[in-house]
Amino acid sequence: MSSPFSINGGAAVAMVGKDCVAIACDLRLGLQSLTVSNNYPKIFPYGDVYLGLTGLATDISTVSDLLRYKVNMYRLREERAISPQTLANLVSSSLYERRFGPYFVSPVIAGLNHKDGKPFICGFDSIGCIDFAKDFIVSGTASDQLFGMCEGLWEPDLGPDELFETISQALLSAVDRDALSGWGAHVYIIEKDKVTKRLLKGRQD
Amino acid sequence: MGGFDFSNHSRNAALHAQGFPLPTATSTGTTIVGCLFDGGVVIAADTRATSGPIVADKNCEKLHFITPQIWCAGAGTAADTEFTTSLISSNLELHSLSTGRQPRVVTCMTMLKQHLFRYQGHIGAYLVVAGCDPTGAHLFTVHAHGSTDKLPYVTMGSGSLAAMSVFETAWKGNMTRQGAVDLCSEAIKAGIFNDLGSGSNVDVCIITPEKATLLRNHITPNEREKKMRDYRFKKGTTAVLNQKIITRADISKYVTVHELDDGTPVAAEKMDVDT
Amino acid sequence: MDALVSQLETPRSQQELYNSEEEQEQLALSLSPSLKFALPPIAQSQAWLRAMTDDYSNPNCPIKIAHGTTTLAFRFQGGIIVCTDSRATAGNWIASQTVKKVIEINSSLLGTMAGGAADCQYWLAYLGMQCRLHELRSKRRITVAAASKILANLVYSYKGMGLSMGTMCAGVTPQEGPALYYIDSDGTRLAGNLFCVGSGQTFAYGVLDAEYRYDLTDEEALELGRRSILAAMHRDAYSGGFINLYHVKESGWVKHGFNDMNPIFWKTKLGKGEFSNVTADLN
Repeated sequence: MSSPFSINGGAAVAMVGKDCVAIACDLRLGLQSLTVSNNYPKIFPYGDVYLGLTGLATDISTVSDLLRYKVNMYRLREERAISPQTLANLVSSSLYERRFGPYFVSPVIAGLNHKDGKPFICGFDSIGCIDFAKDFIVSGTASDQLFGMCEGLWEPDLGPDELFETISQALLSAVDRDALSGWGAHVYIIEKDKVTKRLLKGRQD
Repeated sequence: MGGFDFSNHSRNAALHAQGFPLPTATSTGTTIVGCLFDGGVVIAADTRATSGPIVADKNCEKLHFITPQIWCAGAGTAADTEFTTSLISSNLELHSLSTGRQPRVVTCMTMLKQHLFRYQGHIGAYLVVAGCDPTGAHLFTVHAHGSTDKLPYVTMGSGSLAAMSVFETAWKGNMTRQGAVDLCSEAIKAGIFNDLGSGSNVDVCIITPEKATLLRNHITPNEREKKMRDYRFKKGTTAVLNQKIITRADISKYVTVHELDDGTPVAAEKMDVDT
Repeated sequence: MDALVSQLETPRSQQELYNSEEEQEQLALSLSPSLKFALPPIAQSQAWLRAMTDDYSNPNCPIKIAHGTTTLAFRFQGGIIVCTDSRATAGNWIASQTVKKVIEINSSLLGTMAGGAADCQYWLAYLGMQCRLHELRSKRRITVAAASKILANLVYSYKGMGLSMGTMCAGVTPQEGPALYYIDSDGTRLAGNLFCVGSGQTFAYGVLDAEYRYDLTDEEALELGRRSILAAMHRDAYSGGFINLYHVKESGWVKHGFNDMNPIFWKTKLGKGEFSNVTADLN
């Protein structure tokens, strides 16, 4: 019997660049071998902070909606947008609350710090352990392949355009070696004054 | 608020009964050590976090702050060591505020063991607790099931055997501060190089009655060689079907930040209902 | 010593010359490996093999056999079309995108591969050998019916021992005309006009059944084979890679390319407006 993490398939990756960050995901939603949808994005915006969620699709929508509720409440209470670091701690404690009945998701966060504009990315396991990384974070059924691609392609201080090519090629190559991910991809390049969202042309098998 | 939420537990247990495997949490397949010296205590840890055979984090922090004079090294399930130490850190601060005394290391150890014993080992936190308080310098280990030890030198985690071999050969009584730091570093290095679950760098924390000093990445014996050439792709390498630019103005359609002290009345802000 | 010298003096050609028919049979039998597989030295070797290799019942099984395929073959007025994908997977890992799943048994017989790649390759090669021996012995081409029966009987003798194959034999012979058989490792052997085999079979059947007629022209038939595999590659996670297309005619089989599916997919989508589920919309 397959793991709940690999019933629906999917992959996500985040990378740090020079004064920018990138986050990307594939578009497949499957049920074991059957591809149900080829337009199922796994990145959710919370203001200007972006959250990628891979794993069990039902938990992806539950967790993304739960966090939207919590982030909206934060915004109302604090009268300011949530920062990536705060969202990371919110995700972490929300997941750890369910230590003994976890959501089957592997979240990834990307954003720029509101005060100093410094890039911030982090990843989590399903019970909320934060992985603060200075380079890249991967998650999903193609995570092994993504680790390999990112270790090879990533380098420090990539500009927004270079970062886009690097994260896109890393994701596309990784999902081409994973049966449960692919069918196109979304890539967000987050800069100080704008976010560029792109739809990639990926293999359709 | 607070405490654990068990509402997914029965669903996941039913799934597990059907043969679905349980999720693999990030674990700090780890080497952590501690050693007392004349006038204080040293703890040290490696910086590798693993998820099965994959190195999930090459430079994680396993030395956790409890109080300014008490620090804790954690092995086992990473999320459990992180949250257990931060919970006890909060409770200890409240405790010290209410008693008006400096928190003691035994108190910290007792709170940890009582918390972990209550959860019968299901919270997989294996800790080395060290610190200085008015009663002196102390060093403890706390196991996930709630048992504790008080020893002059301790090791824990998957690399504990490698690390203990160093202590058993080189430890002497009445060590100096530098001697203890060096011995702990050697013990962690034994774990890094001989235990597959441990790796990367050595973190050290020295606690004396005066102050605690965290030496993050005290030794970095596994620096990756800088790449001689790169794989930069030319602009336009990736085929793009569509693109959209979201400006800060677009985002602030959903997020409005009003300065409250400018005298103007604050209008109700618009919430995003669905995307 | 003398014995050794006399033995070595005998020319090799003479040593290997088999005179009687009995000796030839003996050779055929000695080449037949059917009963010479080593079994693991435990009481229940079948159950053990299953526990080791069946990733459905045990996802952490130590030996992952390459599974997942779409293959199809159909009979029509101009002969037989055989078409396959080219992906090999071990669990979710895509082990290869360039597997040749059509096995050329001889110049007029084709076999297809689904299930265990090693099982199919080995036994179809063995079948090719038996077909050649039949040819030499009886001085005429083996019929597709006979060839498929050799394979069916062979796999039946291993029934329950863990062989995993779903294969089709397609060929045109003077006696039968175009003939198509389906054989699987359960021992099933069926003659028919149209078969799809593998994890993507349902998707291929969907397209093939809708458009299939016996009086298809050669071009229409080739396009239908290609389009059916394309549909399966798109929807089935364990099928993909290259489209391998063959046309079996009376004069023997003709290969119609081994082409990457991706450009064909986008051409089909943009040129004919099919696969409208794939969009360039970005909301």
